[in-house]
Amino acid sequence: MAMPELAQYEREHAAGSSIHLPAPTAWPIVLAFGCTLAAAGLVTNMGISVLGGVLMLAGCIGWFRQVLPHEKHEEVPIAEQPVTITSARALVERIRLSPEHRARLPIETYPIISGIKGGIAGGIAMILPALLYGLIAQHSIWYPVNLLGGAGVAHWRNPTTAEIAAFHWQGLLVAILIHSVTCLLVGLLYGAMLPMLPRHPVLLGGILAPVLWTGVLHSFMGIINPALDQRIAWGWFLVSQVTYGVVAGIVVARQDRVPTGQSLPWAARLGIEAPGLMESRPDVGPPHDNSRDQENH
Amino acid sequence: MADQTYPIPGSLDAAPSRGAALLEWLHSWVVTVDHKKLGILYVVYALFFLVVAGVEALAIRIQLAVPNAHFLSPELYNEFFTMHGTTMVFLVGMPILFGFANYMVPLMIGARDMAFPRLNAFSFWMTAFGGLLLYYSFIGGFGLYGMGAAPDVGWWAYAPLTAKAFSPGHATDYWALALVVSGFGTLGTAINIIATILSMRCRGMTLFRMPLFAWLMLVVSGLTLITITPLTAAQIMLVIDRYLGGHFFDTQAGGSAVVWMHFFWIFGHPEVYVLVLPAFAIANEIIPVFSRKAIFGYPAMVAASVGIAFISLTVWAHHMFTVGMTSVSNAFFVLSTMMVGIPTGIKIFNWLATLWGGRIRFATPMLFCTAFLFQFLIAGLTGIMLSVAAWDWQLHNSYFVVAHFHYVLVGAIVFCIFAAIYYWYPKVTGRMLSERLGKWHFWLFLIGFHVTFDTMHFVGLLGMPRSIYTYEADRGWGTLNMVVSIGGFVQGIAVLIFVWNLINSYFHGAKAGNDPWDAWTLEWSTPSPPPPYNFATDPVVRSRRPLWDLKHPNDPDWKYER
Repeated sequence: MAMPELAQYEREHAAGSSIHLPAPTAWPIVLAFGCTLAAAGLVTNMGISVLGGVLMLAGCIGWFRQVLPHEKHEEVPIAEQPVTITSARALVERIRLSPEHRARLPIETYPIISGIKGGIAGGIAMILPALLYGLIAQHSIWYPVNLLGGAGVAHWRNPTTAEIAAFHWQGLLVAILIHSVTCLLVGLLYGAMLPMLPRHPVLLGGILAPVLWTGVLHSFMGIINPALDQRIAWGWFLVSQVTYGVVAGIVVARQDRVPTGQSLPWAARLGIEAPGLMESRPDVGPPHDNSRDQENH
Repeated sequence: MADQTYPIPGSLDAAPSRGAALLEWLHSWVVTVDHKKLGILYVVYALFFLVVAGVEALAIRIQLAVPNAHFLSPELYNEFFTMHGTTMVFLVGMPILFGFANYMVPLMIGARDMAFPRLNAFSFWMTAFGGLLLYYSFIGGFGLYGMGAAPDVGWWAYAPLTAKAFSPGHATDYWALALVVSGFGTLGTAINIIATILSMRCRGMTLFRMPLFAWLMLVVSGLTLITITPLTAAQIMLVIDRYLGGHFFDTQAGGSAVVWMHFFWIFGHPEVYVLVLPAFAIANEIIPVFSRKAIFGYPAMVAASVGIAFISLTVWAHHMFTVGMTSVSNAFFVLSTMMVGIPTGIKIFNWLATLWGGRIRFATPMLFCTAFLFQFLIAGLTGIMLSVAAWDWQLHNSYFVVAHFHYVLVGAIVFCIFAAIYYWYPKVTGRMLSERLGKWHFWLFLIGFHVTFDTMHFVGLLGMPRSIYTYEADRGWGTLNMVVSIGGFVQGIAVLIFVWNLINSYFHGAKAGNDPWDAWTLEWSTPSPPPPYNFATDPVVRSRRPLWDLKHPNDPDWKYER
């Protein structure tokens, strides 16, 4: 927009008489039609493609002239149109909270590290019943290891019990990988979940949750992998799951809780330095300078 | 004679003739760059093709209603089911949802237009011409059976059926080229929506104060950019195979037919979410307004939408369990597909929590949304069943799968589209749609839908494969197929009532006013229909429900939102 036009626009705009909007133009439809003809020529006649190319060129030039050197606009006068913003429903009901109820769940949670600790502890603990099962039922500690990591053993097709009971380094590696990742993830889930369980978190999270999880797995393992389903001793499986749940639950529950920070602004929760986003808490003084403390002492 | 006067041409205030006025009116639509007019064009274009695809579906249903029928020729039958699928996904689903986004997003975020108005016009016309090119194949396409051959390779167009040897002529090329053309239009609109939402929000409208409709359109546009790209690439590869002797999908010359499947489904499955997330967006606006409650769990709804978009990019090969993948691949795609149930479950629970304790008004938009909730839940459950590889092996390519995805595409998406039209028609035209006709439409469509697609599950369980031309009488599918077809015609009658309602209410509907539903987002603060500039003064918002704040100055949301 040239300077005199700009000045005129600003005067009108300031007076509130009109608003400038992008001017209507035919060049987009010309360009689109050209593109379509260019494609259509491949299935009809090359002449159509040539015509499409010409239209595309014309469309591009016309479009450029619409926006260069200045974008073309049209002034649209502001029309007086009455708008009513009222509601017939003046009464507003809000959920009333008594002091013993929490509006946000949970107020406190466990730090992420507690979930990792719980996952590691539970993961180590559940190895014992699993190996015990291998020794008692199949006379080999590698049997449960290969059940978990068998997918990693190359070219295994319908292995025999003896093959599963033997040592396979690929199976061990895959089993360690699956076991570690799963235990850590479930541990983190415990850290997030336990504060939300109203009572007896270890009982609910450590025993009830593994029982439910085992039941779910038992119900669909026969569909997902029938061969694996036949090899799993579900009683022992449940024992190892409960062992994990109880140990991980106890470890997590013994950690100190931290506020969830749900009421903090998004930026503050992301850890971005954002002074002014948060109101200062009246019970907290200015930041403490440890170095000065040391000097005074 | 000396004192006689004659009119001077040009000095008269002559009204233009009817023909000239019509031409001027048409011209204004052809050259428009206004997001509202383009939004209307998208929706009208999509509704036209909805009727076309509906007619194709009814023809298919007549053909399948009884055993050994010859209502359609086998050739035309193949063309009809190919065109029905292609039309519904590319010429109805995406255009209508982008039409709503075009019209509503700038109004909802307090902007005067889209970020790139001319690109917006270009995108619409590319989409429109793509559709016309596709349908021109019925006239000009030369295929396996001579002239007038439309594409007949299914909407998934698996290789090697698309190779020159099996699909001679140009019918398949029309399919590929038309979708390339309309695909560029789709990409342009997606870029435009992203730029508009990120850079043109009014004062005070932070991302977390944006209406959920705008949030979901942002997510959908991002997903569209990711998914349309491989489809376009694959179609260009197909054209190279067919025209330049390439061998991308030619197994005998070192190519791979399975590569096409991967390309297609990397697009195809997220495409389901490209279509269904806008349906969620519509439900997010309608359910709170008609429950008289703020949406429950706004941040969780945003997170779930982003989560769905991410997970949807990891599930494509569940369409390929029967191809013969490794057990590890099968297990991965089983689990990733099941994971989609988590964010969608969050959404279902949040919608239910929004309804819970609300003062629900069952106006027509809310009726459609209520049916959507129930039907989408069923669609999700059959989706979980099909995500299990072993189950899929039994039912792949059967009518059970057809019933499942129609539960998603019709039961969820089309129901929400109808809800959206009943909800926003007053804003767009200034007239209310007839509630009486709306309820007739709803109940007939609901009954027709369930008669058709509930029954179709059983036909599939009895082993009827999809895409077959006809079947023998001794298969035991005859009665159920007749029921399915009757349901289809009930839906057709409901759509006719809807079309009549649209036309009649435009001329005779009750005046709507600017805010007929007592709603809370910015589009209801403008006149109906809105002026070209949307807002005479730039709006300023302080909460997610700016009109609530204005209507309840003593109890505004910004006091409570964090």
